Amino acid sequence: MSAYLVSMGTFVGFFMILALALNLQWGITGMVNFGIAGFYALGAYTSGLLSAKLGVPVGLAIPAACLAGLVMGAAVALLSVRLREDFLAIVTLGVGEVIRLIVLNEDQITEGPRGLRIEARPFGEMIGPDLYPLFYLGLVAACVLLTYAVCEAIRRAPMGRTLRAIREDDVVAEVLGKNVLLHRVQIFAVGGFFMGLAGALYAHYVQNISPEVFMPVVAMFIWMSVIVGGAGNNRGILLGAGAVMVFLEGTRFVGDFTDALDAEKMSALRIIAIGLLLIVTLRLRPRGLLPERKFKAPSD
Amino acid sequence: MSLQMIVNALVNAALIAPPAMAFSLLFGILRFPNFAIGGYITVGAFAAFTLNVPLGLPLPLAAAGAMAVTALVVWGAHVLVFRPMEGQSAITLLVVSIAVTLILENVIRLFYSADVRGFDIPLQRPWKVFGAHITPEQVEIIGWSLAIGVMLHLLLAHTRIGRAMRAVADNPMLAAIRGVNAGRVTAFTTAICGALFGLTGVFAGLDLVIEPLVGWNLTIPIFAAAILGGIGSPYGAILGALLVGLAEEATILVLPSTYKIAVGFVIIAVLLLVRPQGLFGTAEIKK
Repeated sequence: MSAYLVSMGTFVGFFMILALALNLQWGITGMVNFGIAGFYALGAYTSGLLSAKLGVPVGLAIPAACLAGLVMGAAVALLSVRLREDFLAIVTLGVGEVIRLIVLNEDQITEGPRGLRIEARPFGEMIGPDLYPLFYLGLVAACVLLTYAVCEAIRRAPMGRTLRAIREDDVVAEVLGKNVLLHRVQIFAVGGFFMGLAGALYAHYVQNISPEVFMPVVAMFIWMSVIVGGAGNNRGILLGAGAVMVFLEGTRFVGDFTDALDAEKMSALRIIAIGLLLIVTLRLRPRGLLPERKFKAPSD
Repeated sequence: MSLQMIVNALVNAALIAPPAMAFSLLFGILRFPNFAIGGYITVGAFAAFTLNVPLGLPLPLAAAGAMAVTALVVWGAHVLVFRPMEGQSAITLLVVSIAVTLILENVIRLFYSADVRGFDIPLQRPWKVFGAHITPEQVEIIGWSLAIGVMLHLLLAHTRIGRAMRAVADNPMLAAIRGVNAGRVTAFTTAICGALFGLTGVFAGLDLVIEPLVGWNLTIPIFAAAILGGIGSPYGAILGALLVGLAEEATILVLPSTYKIAVGFVIIAVLLLVRPQGLFGTAEIKK
């Protein structure tokens, strides 16, 4: 039971990093990214392949995964220059799917559906197997705090106001002399960086990654976290990611109390519950559980 | 490119053209890319299956029933979910529409499990035309798809409600000022589109298989066709469907068939970058 809670906490951490990164891109800057699963996969496979196939130490492989997410983010942001946001949604979803298909089909390199086995773990040889899950939870928590601190710093900085201006009306921001394109590319790249980090942390935690984990539905869960929590509010995002994860994982316990439902039916019910959570939250609190506070003095 | 590939492309196009037109019509009124269409198509396929196999109705009757059920579901989703969220951004509504698809798909999984099913129809030998195989069901799909194109054209161009639909899509406020009852037009549009998604579910069940993901797998080709044709232009959607069908078949010549799903995305990405308004759409002026 406590092992289960530790593992669930670790997964909540991955979700929180992804959701904070998406909030930076969409909640604060208004750039749509439905390719989260692709960025997550990119991070996981960059770090996993580097350490499993090339023997690169974890201390270098994880930063490399972040860097891959950064570059990918900048590249996708350059696509957004000409696109309306609803179309960008479809294009980014496509980017994510193409990454998954490449991982699935180029199995000489990625091991495809067989799954890539990753032995290396951060500080794996220094910490005993009993304490390791707890240590990893701490490591992930530290990464969540780091991501939160960076996102919060960006939000509060003068740059944060520029980003919100771009979100509300990019033409006005441009007229006021802000370099809209540069800001967009920077923020999308930073978001990609953290998504890559989440992917790498995931890969070294489960130690066996395969493409079916990175289905577009992951992007959906992260989007729901951001919308339920309150787009634009980093604290709301942490709450939203926690709520979605509790719905997703916590409902597993319900299965322990009743034999009426098999695993297939339980997993169907879980996803129905998540969908209803989103719709009910939006009906009752249209701006999310912790809405973004507007028109706050800069001394905040 | 062999004749067989052209036949396959035609069948694909016939399958995605009606829902692409329906998607285009819905977009005109609701103004966000509605991912719920995947769930609607799945509902259509399973409604027809239930009427046809356990209840033993002949397929044409089951298809009509499926269209009615799906129209009801689409209208219900509009009233319960989308209409109360009118003030939300297009992207929030898009996420909600994916949630609607997830809910519908999983309600179906709950009752039918994820097994692959088919309709209760006699297995027929495919016909051979100049060396290309085509099944009688595929010919029927192509015929119905053409008929639907003509009927939608007549509806939009020559009836009162069709003119009202175009007016609301073009400029809702002006339409309201001129006395068009937007609520009634929207209800009518959702019902028509629902019937088309239901029928697509039936066709997908005939040509592919009946499983909970059948609608989701068609969603991206449908979007690609609608965007290619220019969103809001139902006739463009037909041509878009043809181009998507051909492109999917042509990819198999150069790439392993497992990459086929990516074709729709690549078409969308390239087209949007080169000509954001679609082949036949008119450029939207941003105010």
